[in-house]
Amino acid sequence: MCAMRLTGYAEKFSVHPGDKIKFYVNCDGPAEFKAEVVQMINGDTNPRGPGFIEKPIAAACNGTYKGRKQIIHGGSYGYAADAPQFHVESFTLQCWVWPTTPKTHPRYWKHGAQGLVTKWSQGKGYGLFLNEEGQVELRINGHKITTGVPIRDHAWHFVAASFDAATGEVVLYHEPQIVYALDPVIEPVKTVIKTKVEHSAAPVALAAYVDRMDDSPLAKSSLPAGVWFTGKYNGKIDSPRICNKALSRFEIEQMKAGAQPGLTERRNSGPTGALSETIVAAWDFWDGIDTIVAKDNGPYRFDAQLVNCPTRAMTGYNWAGENFDWKYAKKEYGAIHFHDDDVDNARWEADVEWSVPEEGIKSRFYALKLTTSEGDEDYIPFWVVPRIGKEQSKIAVMVPTISYMAYANEHVACNAGGAELFVYRVPIMQQQNMFLAEHREYGGSIYDTHTDGSGICLSSRLRPILSIRPKYDHFLAQAPWQYPADLHLVYWLETMGYEYDVFTDEDVTYDGLARLENYNVIITGSHPEHNSGPQLDALHNYTQRGGRLMYMGADAWYWVHSYHPAYDGIGRGVITEMRRCESGIRTWRADPGEYYHQGTGELGGMWRFRGRYLHSVAGVGMSSEGFDISSYFSRTPDSLDPRVSWAFEGISYDEPLGNFGLVGGGAAGLELDIVDTMLGSPPHTLAVATSAGRHTEAYLLVMEDFGFNQQGLDGTVHPRVRADIAYHETPNGGAAFSFSSIAFCGSLPWNNCQNNISTLVKNVLDRFSADGPLPPPPADAIRHRGRADYESPALAQRG
Amino acid sequence: MIPIPKKGTPEREALIREHRECVDSMKGVAGFSVLKCETPGDTTIVTGGVHENPVLRRVLLRMRGESPKGKLVVICTKVDAEWRIGRLSGIRGVPPEFVNDKVYTDEQEIQHDIFLMRLEEMPETAGMPEHFAEGWKRRDDNWPVT
Repeated sequence: MCAMRLTGYAEKFSVHPGDKIKFYVNCDGPAEFKAEVVQMINGDTNPRGPGFIEKPIAAACNGTYKGRKQIIHGGSYGYAADAPQFHVESFTLQCWVWPTTPKTHPRYWKHGAQGLVTKWSQGKGYGLFLNEEGQVELRINGHKITTGVPIRDHAWHFVAASFDAATGEVVLYHEPQIVYALDPVIEPVKTVIKTKVEHSAAPVALAAYVDRMDDSPLAKSSLPAGVWFTGKYNGKIDSPRICNKALSRFEIEQMKAGAQPGLTERRNSGPTGALSETIVAAWDFWDGIDTIVAKDNGPYRFDAQLVNCPTRAMTGYNWAGENFDWKYAKKEYGAIHFHDDDVDNARWEADVEWSVPEEGIKSRFYALKLTTSEGDEDYIPFWVVPRIGKEQSKIAVMVPTISYMAYANEHVACNAGGAELFVYRVPIMQQQNMFLAEHREYGGSIYDTHTDGSGICLSSRLRPILSIRPKYDHFLAQAPWQYPADLHLVYWLETMGYEYDVFTDEDVTYDGLARLENYNVIITGSHPEHNSGPQLDALHNYTQRGGRLMYMGADAWYWVHSYHPAYDGIGRGVITEMRRCESGIRTWRADPGEYYHQGTGELGGMWRFRGRYLHSVAGVGMSSEGFDISSYFSRTPDSLDPRVSWAFEGISYDEPLGNFGLVGGGAAGLELDIVDTMLGSPPHTLAVATSAGRHTEAYLLVMEDFGFNQQGLDGTVHPRVRADIAYHETPNGGAAFSFSSIAFCGSLPWNNCQNNISTLVKNVLDRFSADGPLPPPPADAIRHRGRADYESPALAQRG
Repeated sequence: MIPIPKKGTPEREALIREHRECVDSMKGVAGFSVLKCETPGDTTIVTGGVHENPVLRRVLLRMRGESPKGKLVVICTKVDAEWRIGRLSGIRGVPPEFVNDKVYTDEQEIQHDIFLMRLEEMPETAGMPEHFAEGWKRRDDNWPVT
């Protein structure tokens, strides 16, 4: 069931009026599909809300298209094109490996042999493999020589094989680096094979092997096109070498150091001149870590193209635990971790192209709606974003596309044993989750682990992202989350009659302040958790210059992200990278020494641990999360302060704020932010409403806020498990209003937008969107304030 | 650890009754917890369930922490209309399979049937030394992993 036969993606998230946008569609079965541009208004099908709403757009591309199947050739590998030097008679292959799934379950999605260093296809050639029993295996044409010993997973081994064409002598080495007391000794395997290596035009493959080469339409989306790679390896490889001679064990040892080019009396002692002459290729994965090329420092420069963005900046076999930043110890970072489910680009053929008119198209949320006469349906979201200087409104919504990418094609309900413990119920999988559970080649999210159990730290937008869809409830919320949740806000803006522009995280990251400065107010999405440094800089510069920020959710400004520069040539923000370092809410944890991004070299993890507190961006920061049900807010005395009381016009002091909603049943839920002047909230921040004391035991304090495991961390008892709606002024007539709950926007549409959450947001938006600086605060509000200089009245009384 | 209450005992029946009442009260909420809404479908005031029944709370935590292999899960087969019970394979790339033909027309109702199925499947001594297996040393619970 649940076979999604229509899936697709767009070449970009944001398109300017006057530009073109291409759409790539997989239509697996039906002869044709219909494509229509629609404006997205509401994506939530909950019967207690307004229901699904889209608006047809007259677009030149609307029409019926011929369907065709398109597939993703998932799994990372490197390849170097065939060359005469690879057509050896004798050879030695060698590398270090740290395999993660040497042996897989027979039903595992890619069960079978895995290629390490191969120039082998269809029974011709030579190559080092792990066979399906998890043993090191040398293949020469149809001959398979194995050690007969399973290789240990998650451990470094040196492996090598030599073949002497003249004598037929084969030697296969498998040398574990850690040998435990009860491990049997693994002797080199020696045998004689009388054969001549047969050669083909297949490329050399690293971490894979070539299955076949043909001109079938489905092979077009492979790289290089027409070559079907298989045997995708899971694990690290370091320092692969190919030599054209059967080397002795001593020569193999010398060859570990690689080519060492430019030998003089003063530098680069390495293989002798005579030994160096045997080098066909000597790849140094430490060289060019921020690229997607595996550098061959051998004489022929057979640089290997890396496909599907394997993870680099990984500790190598020789990592000493002294250096933690690859930039300063590159030669200890000579490992690449390949995964059989990596994907950087689906590489599909375009089916639909829309030239967005220069005039008459509003900057809004759009989607290409795909349907078939047989009931198939998919939506490919995109955003029309004005060029800078041609803004259409005073209000702009910043669409959290980095966060959408971080959650792209998330598998947690299916993969994780403990997922139920944090959602506090049995998870619900939608048809998208069912499809992804089978189609691992669509890649996972940065919340998932790869199929080998290692963390996913890279996410591409050039693939169908089935979680950025309307009509999609996320298991975390049992309600809309991210994209469809942000449509609650869009529905509200539309219903209330506001004119607004939209732009994405990507636009802010590349355009900086220029993208923001012509707006009176910027509105965020419900959960802008994942952010680039340039984006936070731009928001800071904007609010400091009098800009107004409405932060509509929670758990924002949390993780360090960077776009991988190696992909800049094919568009903005194609791949985002994030490492889950020592603290924060982490569904996986980066390994020691692997905290620095491969793309930009910056330290990953939480912005907090780079000295950029969450609370410093909009006055509040994440303090707790829980995913069962939501609660509501009560006003505090701060809300009566004339600096902010205007926001509560039409709302009585005692009424519950938001005890209704389409996400968890209330405005305060999922993930919650609080004011904390010790963590960056400006000292003049007003906490105008709070949900303190109302959350369930499923809500737990974030781990970065405590250093000792202890009872008493849940919503029924811990004082920091709450959401605080907060306000503070910024210089030059700017301000930030923070609503501090991911569920908040789910209350906006309630009762046709006639409710107190809607009133509050309208009051704020009306004031923030007006031209000119905000009215100045009362004169007595200007005074010196410390950060911690406060004594609780309760404590004072006790004294 | 506390033992899972035995079949036919008043303690087990009380758990089932409490769970049932919570599920019924949560119908209409865009979310779910084993708690009782004072007004059905409205989370303004919630009581009972895991907040007030320590045995129910612990039994549910034990069920939720089980390994993904063979774990029951809800599969939505028609958006906001139909749901069925499936079982996770525990193998990457092998999707969940339906356990039966029963179709639910309420997303909360299915939580109760899964609770009952798990009570049947879970031995009284689940997680205790008599169930020790090699996988305990090799993280086969998959608990901290996604």
